[in-house]
Amino acid sequence: MNPILLPIAMLAAGAVWATLSGAWPRASLAGALTAVAGSGLACVRIGLLPLTGNSTDGSGISLSWPLPLGSAHLQCDGLSGWFMIVIGVVSLSVALYSWGYMRREIARGSVSVFGALLCLLTATLVVVVCAADVVLFLVGWEAMTLCAFFLIGFHDRDPEARRGAWMYIVATHLGTALCLLPMFALLVRCAGTTDFTTFRSALASAAERDHVLLFLLGLIGFGAKAGFMPMHVWLPAAHPVAPTPASALLSGVVIKTGIYGLLRLLTWFPPLPASCGVLVLILGVVGGVFGVLYALAQHDLKRLLAYHSVENIGIIVVGIGIGMLAQQSGHLSVATLGYAGALLHVLNHALFKALLFLSAGAVIFSTGCGRIDRLGGLARRAPVNACLFLVGAVAICGLPPLNGFVSEWLIYGSLFNSAFSATGAAAAGPVVAVVSLALMGGLALACFAKVFAVVFLGDPRDPALWVRPIPGSMTAGMVLLAVPCVVIGLLPGSFVKLVIPGIRQIVPPIVDGSAGVAEGMLTAAGTLSWLAAAFALFLVVLTLGRRRLTRTAAPSPRSRTWGCGYAYPTPRMQYTASSFAWSLIASFRSLLWPDRHHQPPRGAFPQGSQLATHTFDLAEHDIFAPLLRGAARLCAMIKTLTWTGQAADAKQNGTADPQAGKRPIALIVHHVLNALRRGSIHIYLGFIVLTLITLFVIEAAFSPGVHSAVDPRPIHRAGSEGEDR
Amino acid sequence: MSILRTSLAIPEVLAVVALPPMLMSVIAKTKAWFGGQTGPPWLQPYWDLLKLCRKGAVYSETTTWIFRAGPTVSLAALLTAATMIPVLSGGTILGFNGDVILVAYLFALGRMFMVLAAMDTGSSFEGMGASREVTFGTMSEPALFLSFVVMAIATGRLELGEMVGPRLFSAWPSIGPAMLLVVGAWMIVLLTETCRIPVDDPATHLELTMIHEVMALDHSGPDLAFITYGAALKFTLLGALLLHAAIPHPAWLGIANAPLRLLELGLLASVVGVLESSMARLRLNRVPLFLAGATVLAGLAAVLVLARSHA
Repeated sequence: MNPILLPIAMLAAGAVWATLSGAWPRASLAGALTAVAGSGLACVRIGLLPLTGNSTDGSGISLSWPLPLGSAHLQCDGLSGWFMIVIGVVSLSVALYSWGYMRREIARGSVSVFGALLCLLTATLVVVVCAADVVLFLVGWEAMTLCAFFLIGFHDRDPEARRGAWMYIVATHLGTALCLLPMFALLVRCAGTTDFTTFRSALASAAERDHVLLFLLGLIGFGAKAGFMPMHVWLPAAHPVAPTPASALLSGVVIKTGIYGLLRLLTWFPPLPASCGVLVLILGVVGGVFGVLYALAQHDLKRLLAYHSVENIGIIVVGIGIGMLAQQSGHLSVATLGYAGALLHVLNHALFKALLFLSAGAVIFSTGCGRIDRLGGLARRAPVNACLFLVGAVAICGLPPLNGFVSEWLIYGSLFNSAFSATGAAAAGPVVAVVSLALMGGLALACFAKVFAVVFLGDPRDPALWVRPIPGSMTAGMVLLAVPCVVIGLLPGSFVKLVIPGIRQIVPPIVDGSAGVAEGMLTAAGTLSWLAAAFALFLVVLTLGRRRLTRTAAPSPRSRTWGCGYAYPTPRMQYTASSFAWSLIASFRSLLWPDRHHQPPRGAFPQGSQLATHTFDLAEHDIFAPLLRGAARLCAMIKTLTWTGQAADAKQNGTADPQAGKRPIALIVHHVLNALRRGSIHIYLGFIVLTLITLFVIEAAFSPGVHSAVDPRPIHRAGSEGEDR
Repeated sequence: MSILRTSLAIPEVLAVVALPPMLMSVIAKTKAWFGGQTGPPWLQPYWDLLKLCRKGAVYSETTTWIFRAGPTVSLAALLTAATMIPVLSGGTILGFNGDVILVAYLFALGRMFMVLAAMDTGSSFEGMGASREVTFGTMSEPALFLSFVVMAIATGRLELGEMVGPRLFSAWPSIGPAMLLVVGAWMIVLLTETCRIPVDDPATHLELTMIHEVMALDHSGPDLAFITYGAALKFTLLGALLLHAAIPHPAWLGIANAPLRLLELGLLASVVGVLESSMARLRLNRVPLFLAGATVLAGLAAVLVLARSHA
């Protein structure tokens, strides 16, 4: 059997088992999670094959396919392989974690649904990443969206969960329907087949204007899934309400399929004009800076992490943008560096973000509370979880010696190098990106210093919160993610090598030996290990020295924290997350427009005083909300056939018979319209049938020569493919 | 050859390790001179460090291992950065292509752990200091990176040891104005990162207005020694970078290179002392504007350099 089929078969079996054995929830969940874990291992193995150069051609497979168009062509090349590793590692640890996390849901039932959905989501992820055919890709893409939708809305009694799930499906479906379908239809029309492998040669002969159009459609369509800045609104709504394993999978892998789609798209184009690269760079910078600023302003643990996903997607997109720009100007080594940084950051972000989500989920699991300002002092009551969260926090801030630094370092390197090679105004883009990346780094540090310090350090703020122990399987799942975070940070050289086959799909290898500084930096990635070793050495020496000094000194008693003269501080007096972040939020208030309600204490014996801060998402409140309200109004107007959108019946209740005194024709029209807007389904169906018949009649009357067209096949495919979905 | 180079480097490494407290002493002496006082003895910072190392430490019941690890990790990060920063002669021990970014992020690592250690005490005063530290640290980051960009474009290198010295010296005539702006921006970054007037007053005794000092309120014994030494080391490293950018030494200086730089560092410390004696601390909500000024200066420098490379 072909290796790609192995994980899919395992997951399908797992899903079937979970569905059938719903009567025994324990066994059902265990079976499904075993399938996910096993397929995770298989995915990593399959992903490594093309990356280590063992087999590149033998891993493709075509199956029989019942649909009239497309084919079931699965292929795992360098780019797919890299994403397969991402899927494998995250799903393996999520499976481990879910065992501990979902056990308490067993009593509430429907864990078997969760297990089946998890299996299906992982399987569709594998299909999306490995599909080498438009129809198969779109089927996988939609199935993935649906599985994710049901997982987000898993706790469907919670109105917030329903809202998050709907926002997710509306946002991604708008992207798919309005942009991806037309884009793929045009591509298929251009190439004449639905096979991914033919697109590159077909597009080489197309006009540059068509390239730009296709790319823009893809950018918006995939960007809605990945969470590019104005289209990110579903992330902070969906991530916090999903069950934690699902949030980790969503943030770690599902949004990365948007990045995968974008990169796959880039493999088909010849170098795009510079304006596209600049646009991508701007998207990255805006997403990164705003993402982290909004994250800083959040009060909810998982919502904050969701905004950090927006930031990190921004960082990845900066890497892609600089790669596109450098590719266009012919600096292939700089382009390689940029794409290498982006791809490595895809894996790194999947690792540390999944780790952070799982760790945050463990906090919520053990305390039942996700509000940052109510927590505190968890480092003493859940020390292992605190360590794991700290690893994730240091990694996501891009601090050495962990993995986040390596990929950010590569992206910085490509930005610096393209600032060298470009001249004048063209270098402004990279310079601005360097500055914003630096700003993002600083803000991310502030944000995670805030979260870690307020949640895990200090004294517990709310004595009512009871901390229950975290099961071993949850810890094991998190450790599985923390270890590669450290390993990639310590041995970056070998991981940078693994990225190269994926980049070769986009950037051709450099043949003329003009490697230069940029290629030098790829090899210099190995040097980071030495610096990490130096850091470790200093750390060990200082720790030993400190231990010696403290041992020889007289033992001192423990005491209370110095309260600057005040003897009776309470835990409520600790600095809160909101206060900690406020000085930064206030400095960026012209970008964020935070709301601040302050009722200061008054008089000699003040009674009540309060302070509340909220930061609303500008994209959600000022772009999409008015837009969608307008759309809803339009729908209401169509439904009720009035200008106001108010149902006419509502006003007529209680009055005399409205039809009295009307002429017969007006009466019939009124009855028909009334029947239509009452919305009984058979009338709608009748309406559809009537419309179709009318259309056929018109077509038959006006275009008699359609049968003599030269070769209608590609057009036919392009057209019918849209309906097929 | 490499043995010879190593043996020549050893005195410099020792000098760099021993230097930081002396620079603090220079600042203190300058301030004392301005106040008409004698000031503490020259070696007082060393005695202070020694005294702290001999003392035991008192830990708050609230704290965890983070509190104890903070100063150690922070100092280790600074020492690692020191291996890549040219201090006296312009050479580095572990420099490599792209170390500029690592140095900036090592400073950030040190900041992260100091902030966490401060927050670990649960004291609202230390929380305030930590909040200010991350705010001003974040805002000085763009200026720092813009300055790096200017120097990198001027020299075509991404290794700190290569970005300064003779290479910068030969580039100086053509990019002098931009470098002056960079030096201005860097001065602001130096004053911010090392918590000196006009951003923070190290001599204040009101906890509400402190930044660096308030974060170390609960530390004692060897931990406090690490923090004090780390702050001095940070001043030395950033000051050395500033001087390398402001006054690049040509190759023909030869053996006089390192002593001259030592002298300049002393001068820089006294300039900081003069600044501290002659001006007041800014109001805290004015500091972001001060830092934005640094970013604007460095941005202007970047524009100048890019325009130059275009012409």
